Amino acid sequence: MVHEFFKGLFKENPIFIILLGLCPALAVSTQVVNALGMGAGVMFVLLGSNIFVSLLKDFIPEKIRIPCYIVIIASFVTIVDLVMQAYAPTLHRNLGVFVQLIVVNCIILGRAEAFAGKKTLPESILDALGMGVGFFLGLLLISLIREVFGAGTITLFALGSFDGVIRIPGLVTSPARVIGLATGALLVMGYLKALFNWLELRKEQRAWGEIKKEQSKAVRSAS
Amino acid sequence: MKKILISGGKLFSICAVAALTLGVINAITEPVIEHRKIIELEQALLELAPDAETGAVSVPDENPTARAIYPLAKGGKEAGYILELLGIGYSGDMKILARFAADGSIAAVKLMDNLETPGLGKKAEDPAYMRKFLGTGDSARPVPVRKDMLTGAQADAITGATITFLGISKALAEGSRYIREGEIENGP
Repeated sequence: MVHEFFKGLFKENPIFIILLGLCPALAVSTQVVNALGMGAGVMFVLLGSNIFVSLLKDFIPEKIRIPCYIVIIASFVTIVDLVMQAYAPTLHRNLGVFVQLIVVNCIILGRAEAFAGKKTLPESILDALGMGVGFFLGLLLISLIREVFGAGTITLFALGSFDGVIRIPGLVTSPARVIGLATGALLVMGYLKALFNWLELRKEQRAWGEIKKEQSKAVRSAS
Repeated sequence: MKKILISGGKLFSICAVAALTLGVINAITEPVIEHRKIIELEQALLELAPDAETGAVSVPDENPTARAIYPLAKGGKEAGYILELLGIGYSGDMKILARFAADGSIAAVKLMDNLETPGLGKKAEDPAYMRKFLGTGDSARPVPVRKDMLTGAQADAITGATITFLGISKALAEGSRYIREGEIENGP
């Protein structure tokens, strides 16, 4: 069952493998701090919706499951939005419209439909956590690349005397601004996807190599 | 028929529970949010005019850009105005607070509530962003409302967020004109 958690990290990573939730992933990945906030928000909503969808799966009639899922997801998003506005106003200001857009983040509806609506509660919780962490890490990776190359900074939360911005010498004075813009988001995403495909392909080839070796061994021992 | 009624009833009950939960959450968070907004506005006014007293707010009714006027006074004398301006941003309205001298020149600007894109338009919240507007707006120096009215470095800084820049600069130019042409005296 632990597999349900770990599959979201790499093997079925929502951003790089299933290619879900790309719109918010590309839009808020301009700064690391936004990626952290968005990742946390999505994780919370995903967990809440997976729990309730899984609990209610016998109550919700098959035919109207989508509207039911949407109501559940939208409720959690509104809760996140209101609580963030009240208790984390800076983060809310930074994320702007993207908090409300978690509603249409297809990872959440996708997991409700493909997983939580069919599986038990513990499995759904693990799935939500795994997918949430996978989304979080993916977003973090994209935003780190985009902010470091596009602005030469790494923006984190301000703590005490530290203003929350790490400036990288050399890059901060002459950043490749295009990486921070929409074009750069697609470029970075494309290269990362290529990297993930290559890793996947290499793994498969290795697996094939193993099989061939064993086959030849078997042939040799038989003769 | 019965099936439809059961389905409808179930959907209704889910909606009802969701609505109730949200109502409770809203009742808890709303006063906190309201309180925070009031404090934010007070802080912003103080930040824009630390050296002057802010008078009672008045609301001009015929201007689509200037939404509220706070007259400033220093030692009993008039010392310009703070205007609350409405700018049209990349995704929705932007609330801008700007301090103007009596001749219409901009003394300080602060971007308040907005829905701009984080990392692009949101950069306008940085006080350094507004530096390019300061001192403009009197009859000699117009408010820069196009990219070619900026220096190279300033134009670079708004790359990727031209719509945000246009929204802010147009609102500021209108606010400046509003003050300069003395519409306040004729107003309420």
